[in-house]
Amino acid sequence: MSSKRSWLLVSLLVVFAMVLSACQTTTPAPTQASAEPTAPAVEEEFVFGMVMVGPYNDKGYSEAHYNGGKYVEEKVAGTRMIYVDKVNSADRPGTTPAQLAEELVAQGAKLIIFNSDDMKDSAAEFAAANPGIPVIHASGDNVWAEGKNYKPELTNMVNIMGRMEYGKMMAGCAAALTTKTGQIGYLGPLINDETRRLAASAFLGARYCWENYLGKDPAELKFKVTWIGFWFNIPGVTSDPTQVADDFYNSNYDVVLSGIDTTEALVEAGKMASSGKETFAIPYDYEGACKENEAVCLGVPYFNWGPLYAKYITLAKEGKWAPAFEWGGPDWADINNPDTSTVGFFKGAALSADASTNLDKFIAELAGGLTLWKGPLNLQDGSAYLADGEVATDPQIWYLPQLLEGMEGQSVPSN
Amino acid sequence: MFKSKPRWFGLGMQILAVVLALLFTSIILLMVKAQPFEAYKNIILGSVGSFKKFSDVLVAWIPLLLATSGLLITFSAGLWNIGIEGQITMGAIFTTWALRLLQDTTVPPALIIILAFLAGMLGGALWASLVGMLKVYGSVNEIFGGLGMNFIATAMTIWLIFGPWKRPGVGSMSGTEPFREALWLPMVPGLRLSLWSLVLAIVVIVIVFFLLKGTYFGLRLKAVGRNMRSAFHLGIPTSRYMLAAFLLCGAMAGLAGAVQVTGVYHRLIPSISSGYGFLGLLVAMLVNYQPLVAVPVSLFFAMLNIGSIQLPIVMKLDSTLSGVLQGALVLFVLLVDGARKVLLKKS
Amino acid sequence: MKVELRNIHKTFGKVHANDDISLVVPAGTIQGILGENGAGKSTLMKVLTGFIHLDKGEILLDDRPVKINSPADAIRHGIGMLHQDPLDFPPMRILDNFLIGRREVGVFPNRRKIRQEFIELQERFGFNIDPDGYIESLTVGERQQLEIMRLLWMGARVLILDEPTTGISASQREKLFETLRILVKDGMSVIFVSHKLEEVEALCDRVAVMRRGKLAGEAFPPFSMDHLVRLMFGKAVPVGDRTFYGTDQVAVKVSGLTIEDVRLQIRNVNLDIYKGEVIGLAGMEGSGQRQFLRTLGGLMRPVGGRIYLQGKEITGRSYHYFMHQGISFVPAARLEEGLIDGLTLTDHFVLAREQSGMFINRADALNITQRHIEDFNIRGTPEHRIEALSGGNQQRALLALTRSKLNLLLMEHPTRGLDIESTIYIWGKLKERCKHGTCIVFISSDLEELLQYSDRILVFFGGKVSQPLDTVTTTVDQLGQLIGGKGL
Repeated sequence: MSSKRSWLLVSLLVVFAMVLSACQTTTPAPTQASAEPTAPAVEEEFVFGMVMVGPYNDKGYSEAHYNGGKYVEEKVAGTRMIYVDKVNSADRPGTTPAQLAEELVAQGAKLIIFNSDDMKDSAAEFAAANPGIPVIHASGDNVWAEGKNYKPELTNMVNIMGRMEYGKMMAGCAAALTTKTGQIGYLGPLINDETRRLAASAFLGARYCWENYLGKDPAELKFKVTWIGFWFNIPGVTSDPTQVADDFYNSNYDVVLSGIDTTEALVEAGKMASSGKETFAIPYDYEGACKENEAVCLGVPYFNWGPLYAKYITLAKEGKWAPAFEWGGPDWADINNPDTSTVGFFKGAALSADASTNLDKFIAELAGGLTLWKGPLNLQDGSAYLADGEVATDPQIWYLPQLLEGMEGQSVPSN
Repeated sequence: MFKSKPRWFGLGMQILAVVLALLFTSIILLMVKAQPFEAYKNIILGSVGSFKKFSDVLVAWIPLLLATSGLLITFSAGLWNIGIEGQITMGAIFTTWALRLLQDTTVPPALIIILAFLAGMLGGALWASLVGMLKVYGSVNEIFGGLGMNFIATAMTIWLIFGPWKRPGVGSMSGTEPFREALWLPMVPGLRLSLWSLVLAIVVIVIVFFLLKGTYFGLRLKAVGRNMRSAFHLGIPTSRYMLAAFLLCGAMAGLAGAVQVTGVYHRLIPSISSGYGFLGLLVAMLVNYQPLVAVPVSLFFAMLNIGSIQLPIVMKLDSTLSGVLQGALVLFVLLVDGARKVLLKKS
Repeated sequence: MKVELRNIHKTFGKVHANDDISLVVPAGTIQGILGENGAGKSTLMKVLTGFIHLDKGEILLDDRPVKINSPADAIRHGIGMLHQDPLDFPPMRILDNFLIGRREVGVFPNRRKIRQEFIELQERFGFNIDPDGYIESLTVGERQQLEIMRLLWMGARVLILDEPTTGISASQREKLFETLRILVKDGMSVIFVSHKLEEVEALCDRVAVMRRGKLAGEAFPPFSMDHLVRLMFGKAVPVGDRTFYGTDQVAVKVSGLTIEDVRLQIRNVNLDIYKGEVIGLAGMEGSGQRQFLRTLGGLMRPVGGRIYLQGKEITGRSYHYFMHQGISFVPAARLEEGLIDGLTLTDHFVLAREQSGMFINRADALNITQRHIEDFNIRGTPEHRIEALSGGNQQRALLALTRSKLNLLLMEHPTRGLDIESTIYIWGKLKERCKHGTCIVFISSDLEELLQYSDRILVFFGGKVSQPLDTVTTTVDQLGQLIGGKGL
């Protein structure tokens, strides 16, 4: 009967689609992850599990965490990482981060890392349900006593975060020193406290360098934020970052700062440049991100999660675990020191010599105690944020309620 | 030789189909340089390796069984309710809507949850009725209508999450603000499983079993599904029965969505249906209208779903492999069934 | 080209559709093939054009035996067939349609050359078709012209036309006949399949008449109508005992009924159907009797006129309303429109009965089914799936499924494909109902059946309806002539 035939057809299509998707996303076992070169197991191996929001090799946020884990394996003897990546509802429907964390525990993990702010609810749920398992939630604030979401009952959780505000200021500065049109685009992910303050930091850095090193009128600097809706492109769900980057470049924004985990801005800048436009981009998150296209990369502010992970995993391993909130900054002696600096900035090949000199000057000023989170600063809607001379406290920065005056783009999601 | 024992022959062919599906999946595994047996072992251990894991299987089984129950009804009426994904999603949206509306009132939480479930059923049924009316009154094939409605439901979820139902100050697709714990379905301590939803799913499949087996309604649906013209000539109001099939299926899909919101995610997330609708279609195809067979088959599919989580963790393989195996099973069972019929006819 | 068929046999299951047919069509002639529906004409033509494989027999073209296994084989041997619905691909341009089916044109046809050939062909026959227009814009007659040109262009030397005059205008018909006459002058042969006596008489050089799968006889001009009718329908049979239950009470009144359909118009039918009466609807398939019957059953909506049941108007109500008023319709296509493949006899009886409660009482249902099985002499058990029953038993089941108290029973071909025994049994059952006041309207292509069981007969021809004929005073010959369109 014909219905039988259509069954056949439909199932063929389904299988075909599944095979395709499996082939596309299957990541061939790199170098047999299970057979890590572990030294003769004198002491018991300490396995830690990492739950990552994106693919472990995303050339962005998740890869930076993955490398942090690798750093721990290397530096802290007797540790081994297991992980599950692409933990988001689009890639792994029907699962929750907490459930996947439990799977890691079942595989022997004695400590769990949640790497995304998006996993806040799940991380708390997991920590509460597994009080015996130390939990590191990167970018969370559940155990920050001064924070808004303080949950003192989570005695097994540590929150770590890098002061990316500095990295973003440097990125903003590099952008301001390079732009010919005076228009800087910011490719934003979703809107929350973290992303708002990072976009604002980039703006502050840009405005400072524009005004102080180039001597231009800050009113002439345009800084526009466009949010795509998530940390990376999810077709049909988020705006397409490639499209957003293109729109920037096509409407006279010649430098785009990326706030998302993937490198679309850089790729598009490269395409525009090869058709004769002078366009540049600054990626984010991952130290190697410039490699995608060196010729248009002004540099990259990146996280170096290794030292903090190593610190807390060592504590857990030695049984000295205690709840903590650590917002780690750059090592001003050498912001790119892999063993000490939580946040760094690598200059890109496209950064001009002049701009490079000025950027070095800016970094030196920051190291010397310059703070840009200082009044007078107004919020986007014109209301006062910091009075003249007032320096923002950590909670004030962390929970920045809006973008700053002078920035274009949505401060809070529209209805 | 075969003719004398068609029953054994049939069983042998079923086993052959499963073997072929495994073979097919193994070839794909070998193509990505992975050990098939290790993969299967991990899937099995990952699904029944511990009580907790099995409870997670049940968590996935509940919405899948609810969706399959609904689909058995539409399949009986000869309808391809591809729109089930959208109906689950709409059920979830209505459930969330009811919970949001009532969460700050003095209504007792148990009553809120019950009302939320009713709202979910209403949402799913409403969405299904649109597909049904397009089919009956607009001559739009339910497959196309369903696909369209799926698309709209997804777009609506995302719009709600980013817009009216966003978390304060946040614009993220990770979902709405979780509901307070009193509004969660009561869980078995230490597990993600709610016995309430488990009982609900079992009750629903039992109802569907009796509906299709012993009632006038079920028999008429079957008549409509097998031959609409004859059914009409025999006096059955075929349009009304098709609409009823859509409504019932939609209501059950809506229940699946309600379970996902109140029992699993405790909020609305973009892919709230988790693909259980499409998976339910595969199950319904495989079991050939038999509710009792749907119970173990959907459980097995849920096991594959949960067990395959091990693949990325242990073997760095993508977990969509379970989808390949599920699809291959359906494909080969149908192929082998076709072959069996040809062979029986010849002998 | 000379076509010769030798001892052609073809059976479908138990039906002997072509039983030892031998026929010679000399080159340069128009051969008519006459016969009622189901006589085996179409089967024979399909054998000749490769749509159907013959079981036994031989086909010779110009005295050379050939094997024809597919339509492509047929056209290679020079046999082209013009179907009732010309096979074309509506959303195409006419020239593209023209190209289809010819192998030699290759992947990149030389359009300019083909256009030239197209125009030359047109001129020869005096057709006027725009090669760049779309098929949809053509009338049925023009499509035929296009199809004839295409077949000739592909090298056809024998042209088969199956009921070609359905749906075309009188002037187009004249044009068609003229074209056919030109063709045979060039030595081609034409086989003209029809049931219209007048056309055959006007056009054909010779006629072969088929009846029940056999060649009933051949005839040459000048044709005697009576002779042709007798060949088509068999010898006038003595009509046996007939009992009529017609009364003088009007059960159904039809006034000014006008029915329109894509192909057909039936205008202004007035008829009173009396309680207990049987009315037979005669006519070749597609003459309008089917539409008329379905309109009486509420399955089609008339565009004009009224239907009254026992004085109450029921025009325009739904089929299910008609059912509730005691009007029942039994379709001809048993498994397609009446019964449900895969369900058992019991299931069918449950479906046909009024619902009582929500759950089916299986024991009750089995009892009722068992009773009907005995009552209607159905060979099968209650648990038998319907498709496992023989045609006769399916027909009995269909009758058993209608409600016992009916005002009007409408049937399409109630005994088609059944043996004599079943036919007699079924009519016995039907007449029993008439005795209790049910009136019956039925379609049949069996003239004997019509004359035997009807009180009155309406003859349909191309949408025209005859006055009711009293069967007592009507002969098979008269009926046959009316069916062939003579005198309507």
